[in-house]
Amino acid sequence: MMLARVAENLYWMARYLERAEDTARLVNATTLMLMDMPRGASFGWEDLLKVVGLSEPFHQFYDEASESAVMSFLIQDERNPSSIFACVRHARENTRTFREVLPRESWEWVNELYLYTSTHKSSALDRRKRLEVLTEIIRRRQAVVGLLSGTMSRDEAFQFMRIGRNVERADMTSRVLDVSYAVNLPFQGGQFTDLVWMSVLHALSAHQMYRRHVGVHAKGYKVVHYLLNDSQFPRSVRHCLAELQAALGELPGDGPQRQVMSLIRALDAADGRKLAQTGLHEFCDHVQAGLGELSDAIGQAYFRAAHAQSLSQKQFNLA
Amino acid sequence: MKIDCGHYPLMGGFDELLEAPGKPRSRADGLCDYFATLAPAELEARHRAVDAAIMAAGITFTVYSEAGNIDRAWPFDVVPRILAKSEWDRIEAGLKQRLRALNLFIDDIYHEQKIVKGGVFPADVLADSKNFRAACVGANPPFGVWAHICGTDLVRDADGTVYVLEDNLRVPSGVSYMLENRQLMKKLFPELFARYDVLPVDDYPAALYDMLAALSPREDERPEIAVLTPGIYNSAYFEHSYLAQQMGAHLVEGSDLVVLDDDCVYMKTIEGLMRLDVIYRRVDDDFIDPEVFRPDSALGVPGLMRAWKAGKVGIANAPGSGVADDKVVYAYVPKMIEYYLNEEAVLPNVPSYLCMHDDDRDYVLANLDKLVVKPANESGGYGMLVGPKSTPEERAKFAELIADNPRNYMAQPTLSLSTVPTLCEDAIEPRHVDLRPFILQSKDFYVTRGGLTRVALRRGSLVVNSSQGGGSKDTWVIGDTR
Repeated sequence: MMLARVAENLYWMARYLERAEDTARLVNATTLMLMDMPRGASFGWEDLLKVVGLSEPFHQFYDEASESAVMSFLIQDERNPSSIFACVRHARENTRTFREVLPRESWEWVNELYLYTSTHKSSALDRRKRLEVLTEIIRRRQAVVGLLSGTMSRDEAFQFMRIGRNVERADMTSRVLDVSYAVNLPFQGGQFTDLVWMSVLHALSAHQMYRRHVGVHAKGYKVVHYLLNDSQFPRSVRHCLAELQAALGELPGDGPQRQVMSLIRALDAADGRKLAQTGLHEFCDHVQAGLGELSDAIGQAYFRAAHAQSLSQKQFNLA
Repeated sequence: MKIDCGHYPLMGGFDELLEAPGKPRSRADGLCDYFATLAPAELEARHRAVDAAIMAAGITFTVYSEAGNIDRAWPFDVVPRILAKSEWDRIEAGLKQRLRALNLFIDDIYHEQKIVKGGVFPADVLADSKNFRAACVGANPPFGVWAHICGTDLVRDADGTVYVLEDNLRVPSGVSYMLENRQLMKKLFPELFARYDVLPVDDYPAALYDMLAALSPREDERPEIAVLTPGIYNSAYFEHSYLAQQMGAHLVEGSDLVVLDDDCVYMKTIEGLMRLDVIYRRVDDDFIDPEVFRPDSALGVPGLMRAWKAGKVGIANAPGSGVADDKVVYAYVPKMIEYYLNEEAVLPNVPSYLCMHDDDRDYVLANLDKLVVKPANESGGYGMLVGPKSTPEERAKFAELIADNPRNYMAQPTLSLSTVPTLCEDAIEPRHVDLRPFILQSKDFYVTRGGLTRVALRRGSLVVNSSQGGGSKDTWVIGDTR
C-alpha cells in the first residue's frame, strides 16, 4: 500500500512536469505567432501572463511586461515557482523521494531533463534558439511519459501521476481558453479572428487534430467546443476529466470522484456557440475553481495522513 | 592515455595487480593484456561514457560544506581490483566468524555480561562506552542477533597480510556503490567479463531482503519491510532509495510511521494505517525514538523502542548494536572469538595500542610521529592523526587530547596499504585501497563476493573516505580455474 507522503509527491511531480511542458508549448506557440503578427502591432505580453495566472507574481519583480522579461520569467526565473526551470527542478527533487516506486530509468531521464534544462535555459531567451531548446525540453519530458507508460504497472503510483497530469492539463486548457476570450474582444469579426483562434489551438498543440477532425477554419465557437468537450483530444477538458475518472476508479474512496462528476455535468450543459459569444470567462473560472476543489478533495482523501499531527486509531480505517 | 603496465611506478608496498613493473600477478594477466591492446582514444571514450552514465544515473553522495550541500558524482576508477577465490574463501570464513562473535558479545553485554565477569573484557571500557544503550538491556531480538548488517574494513599490508581495520555495525554504507560499480564495468568493458569468471554481486538485495524478512514478527504473512531514511539531505540517501527500490520495500521517513497503543508500528498510507513488520533503519539509534533517546529528534518515531522490545517489529541493526562499533572494543574482538567460539581469529586485527593502558599510552605518546591515532567513536575518517604526515603542532594537540581522555583514543602502526593501478590525470599510477565487504546475519549468514574497494585518489594519501577525496573501484573475486 502506498505511503501517503509518496502519493502526494507523485501527484505533484506529475503536475510540475505537465506544467513545464505546457508552458514550453505555450511559449513556443506564442513565439511563432509573434512572427505572423503585422509589424507595428503590439503583442499582449500581459495577456500571456494572465493565461498562466502569473500576472501578480511577475509584477513583484518586474515593472514592464516586455518580451525579454516575460520570457525570462516563464522560462528560467527561479523566483517564479511555475517557470519551466523551477517546475523541472521541483519535479526532479520530488522524484528523488520516490525513486523506489518508479522504474529505474525514470529517475535517470527526469535527471537528464533537469540537467538539460539547467544548461540550456538561458539560451532559450534568444528567439533564434528558443524553439529548439523548448522543443527538446518537451521531447525529453515526453520521453519520461512514454517510459512510464511502457514500463510501469498500472499501480497506485501510476494512478497518482495520471491524476496530477490531468488536473494540471485541464487547468491549463481552461486558462488558455479564458484568455483567448480577452484577447479576441478587439478582433471580434475582424480579419485576425481566425489567426488568434488558431493560435489558441497552437498553444495547446491542438491545431492539427482540430483541422483533421473539425475543419480548416478556426471558428470561435468550434474551438471552444473542441477544447472543452471533445472526447478524443487528450488536452480537452472533457478528456482530462475522463482520465481522472478512470484513474480515481482504481483508487479507494469516492470523494474526489464526486467532484469530477460535478465538473462533467457542467461540461454537459456547456454550449460552445453561446460561450463563444458570452460567459466564456465565467465558465472557465468555474472549471478552474472546480479543479481546485478536486485537488483539495484528493488531498483530503489520500494525503491527509501525511500531514496529520496527532493520530488516533479512530481517525483511520485500520487495514 | 594508454594503460601500460610496463611503466608502472610501484610504490614499494604490496600491489594487488602487479608483482613488478611489466609483471602482472597471475590473476591479473588477462586484464593487463586487455588494457595494453586498448587504444588510448578508445579508453578515453569509454571513460567519458562512464562519467556521463554516473551523472545521468545521479549516483551521487552529498558533501557538506559551508558553501552549502553539493551533490558530487561518485568517483569511479575503471581498473578493477582482483582477488583470487581461494584467498577470498578464507577471508569470507573470517568475516562470518567475526560477526558471529560480535553478535554473541552484544547479546551478552545486554544480558549477563559474562565476558566482563570472566575478566576477558574490562568493565571500565563498557562503563565509558558512548554507544551502550541502557534502554536495550534485557531485549531479545530474534536469533539473538543484533548487528544484522556489518561493513568490515579490510586492508592489506606490505607483506600481503590482510588485516581487519574496523567493524562498522551502526549504519554502514557503500553497498549500493559496490553494485553500481559492477553495472558500470559491465557497460564499459563487456569483453573483459568474457575473459574472466567474475563472481556476481547482484544477489545482495535479495539476500538483504531474506535477512530482513526473517526478522518479521508475523511469520505466516508476506512481511511489510521498509527502509527508514533520515531524508533526501542525508549523504547516503541515494543508497537508501536504491536499496528500497532493489528490494521492493517501502522507503519511509520517521514522519511516515506511528506507533499505536497496541505497540505495533504503522505506516501512513493512502488507505489509512498499515502495519509494518521490519525496519531497516539508516538512522543512528540516538535518533530513532525521541521518547527514549534524543527528545529533539525529528527523524525518529515516538514509541519505536517500545514496539521493538515488545517484539512487534524487527529492527536492523538492532538499537544498541553500536556498542561493538568502537575502536577500543575492536581491539578485543580476537579475544571475543576465543571466548565465545573457542576458535582462533581467522583474520588478524591490526596491532592496536589502547591509550587507557598506561604502557600502551606511554608508547603511543613517544611514537606519535609513527602511529595512526584514532578516536574510539568517530567514523568517516574524521578526528584522526596520521603520524608520519603530521606537524609537531598536530602531535602536541593529540598528546593533550589523549591525556584528557585516554579511553577515547587508540593507535595503530601506519600500515603501508596495498595499491591498485589507477587511472590518474596523465598516467596509470598506484593508489592505496581498502576493502569493505558486507556481511549479513539473521537466520543465516551472507557475505558479498568481494565488496566495495575504496581508493585514495590523491597520490600517497591513505584516506579512502568518499567525503575526503576517495573514489572506488569494482572488485572482482575470480575463480582460480583460468
